Amino acid sequence: MSAWSNHLVLVPILLPLLAGSAMLLYDERRRALKAAINLAATFALMLTTVALLATAAEGIPPQVYLLGDWPAPFGIVVVLDRLSAMMLALTSVLGMAAVLFSLARWHRAGVHFHPLFQFLLMGVNGAFLTGDLFNLFVFFEVMLAASYGLVLHGSGIARVKAGLQYIAVNLIAASLFLVGVSLIYGVTGTLNMADLAVRTAEIAAEDRGLLHAGAAILGIAFLIKAGMWPLGFWLPTTYVAAVPPVAAAIAIMTKVGVYVLLRLSLLVSAGDGVEGSSLFATTLLLYGGMATIAFGMAGILAAQDTARIACFSILVSSGTLLAAIGTGRTDVTAAALFYLVSSTVAVSTFFMLIDLVERGREFGADMLALTREAFGGPDAVEGEEDEEVGIPVPGIMAMLGISFMACAVLLAGLPPLSGFIAKFALLSGLIGRADAGTAAGITATTWTFVALLILSGLATVIAMARAGIRSLWGPEERAVPRVRVIEMAPIAGLLLLCVALTVQAGPVLAYMQATARAIHAPDQYVGSVMKAPRTRPDPAEGSR
Amino acid sequence: MMSDESLLALVLALPFAGSLVVGFLPSNRHNLEAWLAGAIALAGLAIALALYPAVADGKAIRVAVEWLPTLGLDFTLRMDGFAWLFTVLVTGIGLLVVLYARYYMSPDDPVARFFAFLLGFMGAMLGIVLSGNLIQLVFFWELTSLSSFLLIGYWHHTAKARDGARMALTVTASGGLCLFVGVVIVGHIVGSYDLDRVLESGAAIRSHALYVPALVLILLGALTKSAQFPFHFWLPQAMAAPTPVSAYLHSATMVKAGVFLMVRLWPALGYTEAWFWIVGTAGLCTFVLGAYLAMFQQDLKGLLAYSTISHLGLITLLIGLDSPTGIVAAIFHMMNHATFKASLFMAAGIIDHETGTRDIRRLSGLLRLMPVTAGLAILAAASMAGVPLLNGFLSKEMFFAEAVAHHSSSAFDRVLPYLAALAAMFSVTYSLRFIHGAFFGPPPADLPRQPPPLPSWMAAPVALLVSACVLVGMFPAVTAGPFLDSAARGVLGAHIPTYSLAVWHGFNVPLLMSVVAMAGGALLYLALQRYLSSGIEGSPLLRRLDSQRIFDRIMIALTLRAGRIGLETAGTRRLQPQLRLILGVACAAALWPLLQLGMAAGPLAPSALDPALTLVWVVGAACAIAAAYQAKYHRFAALILTGGAGLVVCVTFAWLSAPDLALTQLLVEIVTTVLLLLGLRWLPKREEMVEADRHRTPRVLLRRAADLAIATVVGIGVAAIAYAVMTRPAPDSRASFFVERAYTEGGGTNVVNVILVDFRGFDTLGEIAVLGVVALTVYALLRRFRPAPDSIVSPEQQVRQNARAAAAGPRQPADALADSLLVPALVMRLLFPVIGMVAVYLFLRGHDLPGGGFVAGLTMSVAFILQYMAGGTRWVEARLIILPVRWIGVGLLLAALTGLGAWAFGYPFLTSHASHPTLPVVGKVPLASAILFDLGVFVLVVGATVLILIALAHQSIRTHRPTKPEPAPDHA
Repeated sequence: MSAWSNHLVLVPILLPLLAGSAMLLYDERRRALKAAINLAATFALMLTTVALLATAAEGIPPQVYLLGDWPAPFGIVVVLDRLSAMMLALTSVLGMAAVLFSLARWHRAGVHFHPLFQFLLMGVNGAFLTGDLFNLFVFFEVMLAASYGLVLHGSGIARVKAGLQYIAVNLIAASLFLVGVSLIYGVTGTLNMADLAVRTAEIAAEDRGLLHAGAAILGIAFLIKAGMWPLGFWLPTTYVAAVPPVAAAIAIMTKVGVYVLLRLSLLVSAGDGVEGSSLFATTLLLYGGMATIAFGMAGILAAQDTARIACFSILVSSGTLLAAIGTGRTDVTAAALFYLVSSTVAVSTFFMLIDLVERGREFGADMLALTREAFGGPDAVEGEEDEEVGIPVPGIMAMLGISFMACAVLLAGLPPLSGFIAKFALLSGLIGRADAGTAAGITATTWTFVALLILSGLATVIAMARAGIRSLWGPEERAVPRVRVIEMAPIAGLLLLCVALTVQAGPVLAYMQATARAIHAPDQYVGSVMKAPRTRPDPAEGSR
Repeated sequence: MMSDESLLALVLALPFAGSLVVGFLPSNRHNLEAWLAGAIALAGLAIALALYPAVADGKAIRVAVEWLPTLGLDFTLRMDGFAWLFTVLVTGIGLLVVLYARYYMSPDDPVARFFAFLLGFMGAMLGIVLSGNLIQLVFFWELTSLSSFLLIGYWHHTAKARDGARMALTVTASGGLCLFVGVVIVGHIVGSYDLDRVLESGAAIRSHALYVPALVLILLGALTKSAQFPFHFWLPQAMAAPTPVSAYLHSATMVKAGVFLMVRLWPALGYTEAWFWIVGTAGLCTFVLGAYLAMFQQDLKGLLAYSTISHLGLITLLIGLDSPTGIVAAIFHMMNHATFKASLFMAAGIIDHETGTRDIRRLSGLLRLMPVTAGLAILAAASMAGVPLLNGFLSKEMFFAEAVAHHSSSAFDRVLPYLAALAAMFSVTYSLRFIHGAFFGPPPADLPRQPPPLPSWMAAPVALLVSACVLVGMFPAVTAGPFLDSAARGVLGAHIPTYSLAVWHGFNVPLLMSVVAMAGGALLYLALQRYLSSGIEGSPLLRRLDSQRIFDRIMIALTLRAGRIGLETAGTRRLQPQLRLILGVACAAALWPLLQLGMAAGPLAPSALDPALTLVWVVGAACAIAAAYQAKYHRFAALILTGGAGLVVCVTFAWLSAPDLALTQLLVEIVTTVLLLLGLRWLPKREEMVEADRHRTPRVLLRRAADLAIATVVGIGVAAIAYAVMTRPAPDSRASFFVERAYTEGGGTNVVNVILVDFRGFDTLGEIAVLGVVALTVYALLRRFRPAPDSIVSPEQQVRQNARAAAAGPRQPADALADSLLVPALVMRLLFPVIGMVAVYLFLRGHDLPGGGFVAGLTMSVAFILQYMAGGTRWVEARLIILPVRWIGVGLLLAALTGLGAWAFGYPFLTSHASHPTLPVVGKVPLASAILFDLGVFVLVVGATVLILIALAHQSIRTHRPTKPEPAPDHA
């Protein structure tokens, strides 16, 4: 443990903590300095996580870090494997984009934006890294506390209202989390996830009921975070109220719940096949996920403004992931991981883009357009030119138009961007190239899932076309928005990332498949954690 | 010289690269952009022509690059005779369209965007044609839908363009998604998406149980794209696009993608009843209906759009007839239709460009004004009508021959020849209408503008296409024969049927049908004169069906309305139902396994009830229930009662020998209750009773009963679970590890504190971060917060006090306040150092005895709270400089840096070091590095608590001086 590179695993938690704390030493009026610290820290974080991703991609066993040099399962461990490395990199990239975007204007909308942002990153990173249930709770709380502040950032009635609802729901979720963890600890006597995987197999029959109840309650807490129907109604309200860079940054938070479910259900169920009752009822995830897709679809179709499309897209994305996890199949999981990255980047980008597109539009223009459409008002708005000569499109509007289309294509899963690859991988996992496929091999549930995947894509196309035409092609007189480079750059960057994901789909998917295989067969993970050596000799062992 | 493979890749890459380049050119460089686009199309055409030897006689060129190997998706380009034919069509007509568009588009039009989209489309279409992998084909398929959307919406300032674009996208993208699933199913059956593999596996596919679903889905894709009934309605609306786009996408190429795909996959999917019925019926309906509707259009482009639909129906019908000769005829008609229809669209565009209208009612006698255009258009229209010596005649004869041939002994087969002749008759009628309406008759009187001289190059593309029509029509075997042969070989392999490409086949049934159609069509045109000249738009029977309106209605119903209904029935935005749902679901989730697997109390017997503790618990439970009961309308009472319940918990902890917990709980209770009480002051007054609650309607009662039930079940459930866990022996005591090593390795005898700062110090680090962040959030929220109007007025007590003070003499209100609290305030001030010492004491003994940074921090903050209460905000802040935000920062940094210190010694983060050095005088003192960590905790807890306190306290400053805009000095 003495090599400095070993400590790199902890940097994604410590760096934001130190940066966030350091910013508190300066007066709020030194905003430029704080912005610089935030930017530098997030950039360094991005470099670190990319380095970690590169390490994880080499295929070495999970890297375990013993906090305080206490051995597992007594102390807290932090574990870096392919899955966590991938999530860390995604978080930091989205974080970087959100920070850049916020610097144009939004960071001035309230106090303590920059420290809260760093604490958010600390919480999310911690949740992805930790290998301990209670420590996970702690990082959930760090993340949530920071997100409370960020959702309320900018204040105003709508935000406070949505923010308080968000806080109330999440406090309940946190209580459920605690109850669940206590139950599991009460029965198994351990908080370490790897140890838990070992121990659940040895649990006495009379204790199983309690263990499963604990897991169920814990699962509900994560499902609330993931926004599963009917637990996720808070989600659209909250995201639509948050300022754009915050919405873009906390888009990753819905994936934290999904991540934990994926991690825990596969880790713990490994030793659980004894009586065929899985600890986290994965089939329920499948149905719940599909219900979530359907609900998200309804929301997308009914959305009256563009931001709500983005919010309900998060639900669709969550539902798709949950259902995919619910299938319990390795190839579907791999596809789901690809989808996770692509859809999260897309939603994040879209939140920022909406801010730019809607800038300079008249308030209520959407409602007017929609009413006209619904009740068949005059087709042409008065004074509209019908001349068949193209009107010049200012460069900035062209950029926004292209980006809007890219987001639409990504969210709907149409070519040519990574959304299509993700949908293809999912479909291929569900009904793809079977060796000797028969109709009997594909269940009605799978067909329903496939139909929902396709229909949700279609709903997105329809809603996005409606919204895009309304705000970019609309007849209303609109001012060309003033857009700054640091607002456009993160959007362009994230979209380029999606292009790269498409072109490099082969290697990326290979990484995801290796990840899926590893989490579906967690022996290596468990072994790495339980056998992680201490730095100093164990005095107890020496005396024995 | 490049290899065939790289040339093939170049054909596909050029348009996309060109699209990017053109997109970035300035929008006023018309010539440059047109030349560039033209050059790219020409290059593509030249390469395609050069590649012909490599694909003739059933050979194919293949290039594959690895893309997604694990999923069986390689980027594969594959060109056989059929793909070659389409490549030539796409690039060749593309070249002519670019040339035409150069003159068609207004000089004021910013055409960079136009040409960029057009080239993008060209690339996508070539992608479809050249795909050697079905998934890749879908990829480019959707790209053509997107580029078509952009091109139809090019003049997006007009409502027609917007609506047409959206409808086209909705229909074709839906079809594309169906195609996607269908192709994945085919991949499932075959085990590969590779086109060659799929084409070889026809028998396996047709016999598979999933054949019909796959077929239907793939056909949905093809039929929507080729505007087949019942999805034909989008194509006429797409005519809002600039005419070059209509000529290129919506007649010659993109709409052919559907029939292209059907022909391409026919060897794998065809030869079945299902194919015959679905494809044949769709084709026949479209063929007849399209021709019928075309006769009644008043807009030249509308007429051409419906005639395109009809001709695509004809091709689909030929494919549906499921015979090799039918496929050959279909391919031949695709070529012919592309040439004569593109030229007709261009001619219509020229008329529009020159006269300003495309309305047949306003046009007439243009033959004299624009003889060249008229001559070319007449030839092209004659080809469309199937006049001999033109290419349209040849493929129509082949179609008639196919129609009369025997396929199956069904009614379909029997009526086919008659319907075919009928539709052919209609097509003669609308062709006549096009020619006669526009070019003959009296000189036009009602033109928006007089035709200026035609730009000389504008008619050139039309002339080229029409000469192709004539040449093929007269010398089919020489001109089109070899290419048709290689295309047919590409599709059918070696087994191509015998067919004859000749103008004269002798007197036979098809010829008779042609004659009947010609004569009948001419007669029909005369018969319809009265109806048509009445100026009514649309056909006699179907006029009232406005497809745009119907589509909009359906879309609104299926999307907005359905979505809203879905949201309302399956969702809620209100908090209370959400919480009910969450608790209900959590209950169900926990109960389910418990019911299934059972839950029993553990083996440990509960200890005997102690009367005193029981009494304490009864009080505590009463407090808790009463707090819940009072929570809605008596917040103050509820808060005090919660405090009572909390105290009972403290007592219980102390009773059960957990002094650490008791101490912490006590301080947490005190501090939170005081802070909440301070906050309570600024909440808006509660209406005595919410209106709905005043009337105890059954609904209200029911809702309350449900809430009560949920609360009871959750409460009892948690209690039962807790009981069950507590009556179990601790499983394989991990706890013993901590007890054993707390002193030997942690250097402290207070295990709880060692766990907090050492064993699980990382948790503590996180938790203090939470506390700090919460404080920051509270501060950020309250900083600009204005208390509710009804809570701004001073409390009654203060008002009375001030009144008394005013009555007593000329004194300041502040003095009155100070007087009334004189003694308590003095005591509180004096307590400050005392409490401070207690905090230090608690902090220092923490590692070995109950105490520690957290408790000490809370204690210290009590001292601050007392000062604020005693002296008021301004008094305190005039005397003390409190910078709680910095304390939070310092506390966190201290804790984190202590942990980092271990790195310097080569140990992991937060590794502690403990020693017991002997100091002079004091003696042996326990000293662990963890104490520095604990100091961080202490500083942070003080900072966070005081920050919340300040945030609340500053409310009073704000309200008492309402005239000043932003009074609170920023202490952050």
